[in-house]
Amino acid sequence: MPAGRPHIIVDDLRIGWGSRVLIEHVSFQIERGTTLAILGGSGSGKSTLLRYLIGLERPLAGRIDIDGVGAPHVYEGAPPFGVLFQSGALFSSLTLAQNLALPLTKWTSIRGPAVRELCQAKLELVGLGAFADHLPGEISGGMKKRAGIARAMMLEPDLLFFDEPSAGLDPITAVELDQLIITLSRDLGITVVIVTHELPSIFLVANTCIVLDKFAKGIVARGNPNDLRDTSDIPFVHNFFTRSSPGRAREPA
Amino acid sequence: MRARREQQSVDIRTHADGDRTRLAPEGSFDLSHAASVAQVLDGAFTGLEPARPIDVDLTRVERIDGAGAVLLARLFDRLDASGHRTRVLEASNPGAAQLIALYRARHVDPSAPAPPGASALARIGAAAGQLPRTVTDALDFTGGCAVAATKTVASPGSVDWRSLPGLFQSIGADGLIVTGAANLLVGVIIGLLGISQLARFGAVSHVPELVVIAQFRELGPLVTAIVVAGRSGAGLASELATMKVSEEIDALRAMGFDPLRWLVVPRCVALVVAVPLLTWVGDALSLLGGFLAAMAITDIPARAYVLATGDAIGGGNLLAGLVKTPFLALAIGLIACGQGLAAQGGAAAVGVRTTGAVVLAILGVIVTNALFTLFFTLLGI
Repeated sequence: MPAGRPHIIVDDLRIGWGSRVLIEHVSFQIERGTTLAILGGSGSGKSTLLRYLIGLERPLAGRIDIDGVGAPHVYEGAPPFGVLFQSGALFSSLTLAQNLALPLTKWTSIRGPAVRELCQAKLELVGLGAFADHLPGEISGGMKKRAGIARAMMLEPDLLFFDEPSAGLDPITAVELDQLIITLSRDLGITVVIVTHELPSIFLVANTCIVLDKFAKGIVARGNPNDLRDTSDIPFVHNFFTRSSPGRAREPA
Repeated sequence: MRARREQQSVDIRTHADGDRTRLAPEGSFDLSHAASVAQVLDGAFTGLEPARPIDVDLTRVERIDGAGAVLLARLFDRLDASGHRTRVLEASNPGAAQLIALYRARHVDPSAPAPPGASALARIGAAAGQLPRTVTDALDFTGGCAVAATKTVASPGSVDWRSLPGLFQSIGADGLIVTGAANLLVGVIIGLLGISQLARFGAVSHVPELVVIAQFRELGPLVTAIVVAGRSGAGLASELATMKVSEEIDALRAMGFDPLRWLVVPRCVALVVAVPLLTWVGDALSLLGGFLAAMAITDIPARAYVLATGDAIGGGNLLAGLVKTPFLALAIGLIACGQGLAAQGGAAAVGVRTTGAVVLAILGVIVTNALFTLFFTLLGI
């Protein structure tokens, strides 16, 4: 793959349904090995944007280019990325090891004990080595998300998408998950795109970010999260990073 | 001036204070006194001079909770709207003033337009507007399944064949008792009905033939398919709908799996194989039901009944019934899986799609069966 070329190029993307446009004129690039956070309030379209980036929906207009080949149609080959969905999205009737084996048996010729060994290794990487034969219903929410990350990494992708990984987790588990994401990005050189509105996660894991606003129907700010927090003069961005309410001087308890 | 004193625990006093009016609620403004509060507040306008500023003194409010604060907040809103300018004297009772201010700040105009679809007429219009989309979605799904079936032949590994034994178990073996019992009783019903009607013409000896023809050609496939549609159709739809709302379907797609091939094809295959088998067993049990009915209330010899039944089971009757069962099964599979995969939202969507799957699958079975009957009639089969 060409060195120096952005890992993902999004050019003038317009997404929505029929005549209803959710966001438009969305353009950004993600450098290889970096972590981009897609930020915004509830209903701003950040999770929807993720669905378009991973090919689950077709945009109304614009271009998504991953690895210089355009967004792959999801059925035409092994996807060049892994995805962690908000709920983990593990298959409830399969054990963790069986969940992890799915993409491996689908897209590789590896069979037999090697499959189990690879699944076990990935589970150990995310700290779930002892839970290979557990069903998703038998483990906690944080463990499901870690198992989801392990499954997303089964095909050794160099690009991972995370949809609100910290949502619904206690602060300690959320930090552990953030640390895992940092480790993956730093030690394995994986490009990470993370959708979140958890401020601690943003400042911890993201090199750069884009901020979506539902009223502006697009990107209202981009850059390093710390810089945006300190220097942005856009009210929504300032309020977002400082957790202030635009309408009230004081929030009731 | 005293505005009203109807309840001992709640009251509102008003008196002139220079060019302003002082309004002083008294007593317990809480949920347990809400009815009295509402009654007192309704009369609070009485005696108020129009467009005169009002100071609200909360000193004598002994107790206030959310309910009381809401009622007082709405009173002050109404006073403001009618030209009075109310000012709550915070120092008189800071806690009560803060609670009232909270509810006034959060108040939105309830006369704002209702969301679309709130009225029955709007819902009917929305449903009608949605109809073309529903039809195209159904056609799109059917076409997608046809493509998936073709691709399955070229790439059998893209189907989750490992799920087949479990599907055979849940659709076939686990459903055998219900479909068997239904068909047995249908045989009894046909037998009893045939005996009562044919006896009028002295044709009781034709009861075995009636049971065979009615069961083999129509009722066997129909009853079996309807029971499977209700039982397995609901199961399949709810399973896939749950997978959809919990993002498992998205995860499959993101990993490069085609949900139609991975999930729908094995379920349809299981149905297409299991339903004819269930129908065969059901046919046999139905013959037993007819036999038991005849033995119970007629004097037809058992041997004569069995021989007459054997004579009636011709290739045409057997074929006409069994040819259509795979199509009935396919209709159940496509409708149930289509409804399941169309779920959007949360747990409520699972229920809605499951109900829709059962209703549509039963309807689909009846329509498909009717088409086959028409086709066979035209062909003289």
